[in-house]
Amino acid sequence: MDIKILGGGCAKCERLEKLVRETVGELGIDATITKVKDMDAILAYDILGTPALVIDETVKSSGRIPQKDEIAGWIR
Amino acid sequence: MQFVETLQILIQTGAGSLAAYLAAHVLLCLLPAFFIAGALSALIPQQAITRYLGRDAPKWISYPASALGGFVLAVCSCTIMPLFASIYKKGAGLGPAITFLFVGPAVNILAISFTGVQIGMDIALARIILSIVFGMGIGLLMAWLFRKDDKAHSEATNGSRMFAQGAKVPGRTWVFFVLLLAVLIAGTLQVGLLTNSYATFTLPGAWAGFFQGWLDSIVPPNPNLGIEGVSVHGVLLIGLLILIAVTAWLGLNKVDEGFNTWTYVALGLITLTLGVASFKVTAVEDGLSVGITGKFIAEIALIAAVWWMAVKAFEAHEMQEWLWEMWRFVKQIIPLLLIGVFVAGMARAVIPATWIETIAGRNTVWANLVGVLFGVFMYFPTLVEVPIAQTFLSLGMHRGPLLAYLLADPELSLQSILITNRVIGRKKTAVYVLLVTVFSTLAGLIFGWFIR
Repeated sequence: MDIKILGGGCAKCERLEKLVRETVGELGIDATITKVKDMDAILAYDILGTPALVIDETVKSSGRIPQKDEIAGWIR
Repeated sequence: MQFVETLQILIQTGAGSLAAYLAAHVLLCLLPAFFIAGALSALIPQQAITRYLGRDAPKWISYPASALGGFVLAVCSCTIMPLFASIYKKGAGLGPAITFLFVGPAVNILAISFTGVQIGMDIALARIILSIVFGMGIGLLMAWLFRKDDKAHSEATNGSRMFAQGAKVPGRTWVFFVLLLAVLIAGTLQVGLLTNSYATFTLPGAWAGFFQGWLDSIVPPNPNLGIEGVSVHGVLLIGLLILIAVTAWLGLNKVDEGFNTWTYVALGLITLTLGVASFKVTAVEDGLSVGITGKFIAEIALIAAVWWMAVKAFEAHEMQEWLWEMWRFVKQIIPLLLIGVFVAGMARAVIPATWIETIAGRNTVWANLVGVLFGVFMYFPTLVEVPIAQTFLSLGMHRGPLLAYLLADPELSLQSILITNRVIGRKKTAVYVLLVTVFSTLAGLIFGWFIR
């Protein structure tokens, strides 16, 4: 599974990354987590605001930090 | 010897303004403002506003929605650029995107309430109204100037559905905002009903008078330079603030993972501090006179209501996010603000008033333009523009150019011009910068005519 976190290094983005890593770890899922910081690369996705969560090239959330169980539902 | 004396005066004026900033009236403004900023960031989903910024939204909705979006969503500068870019590239187009970009940095709850308390409600109101009016004006002008590009653009990015996602802001969130705003207003509004004391008692002890005398000798008040000096009340509040800083560090740093005992201690201390700050405290000969003001009664009642709602009406994770965002703003803004206040205070003792009076003492086109250009080339951290403006004001700057400066400073910096350039290109950025310069100068000039 390919998970991307879009965001230019603001505090919210870091918090999302932490949540995602925790959830992936707890579920024991094999996934690569990458952070996308480049503005042009971020804007290539259909998102409104950062932080955004992209799983297998599908935007799951943008402009907010989803709850942990929400994230778990997407990656399970 | 002269060097030592100068240094002493510098440190005294710096410390004087720092202490004045931590005193009651600023506390009652900034503390609630940070809570409101945190709530805006944590409790209002971006989609609640961006759904009005889609490609098909009519102009009379998209422009006001962009201005509102600037106010609500742009508390954190890191969200401005991505949103600006997506409104421009995939949503309502260049005009509303520009309105959003313009309104965002100038009209956020922290900047406005801080300006109101430190410099005056007239400038704060002018900052809100002129930013919104000019933001929409500049947006419409840009859209009109580049109407051909925008049309081509529009056809190229059709079919994006992301603006269609809606999100509603629930009723309880609105009530919560009204309460928080009421805390801010009750603490800062200067009307008799709130500032009068309804009961007074005196804490006995001769120490109060001595202590005040000692404070006056250390940080002498200087009305000429607008330096307030430090009161016994102020020292008590500064002590409480230090306690808050320590407990908040322990209780709020990891509040996203859950509440701990320190969280409640910190929140309790904040409540206590707001209460203490609303007393009217003066050192008298035989003790400390404490007045129970209308402000105190209002603050206590409102904060109790906020606590009640936070516990009863919201889920724990919402409150965690609220406090986390609030604390993040505090960590991001307060250290730089304190340094800014100290340095801006020292500058009062260094810059000769005649300079400022000559350059910007009267409301002329040049004075306003200088105010704007100073704002563009000097990059100050969030909110620090306010103490800087206060220094200028006390050195004799006219309120017109002062407003021009306050509009331009958060709006345009070399850094933001560079990023804007990357999103909309060189030509549009140049026109935008020119329009902002002209409009801010005009705003100061017009405001200056009405105010003497």
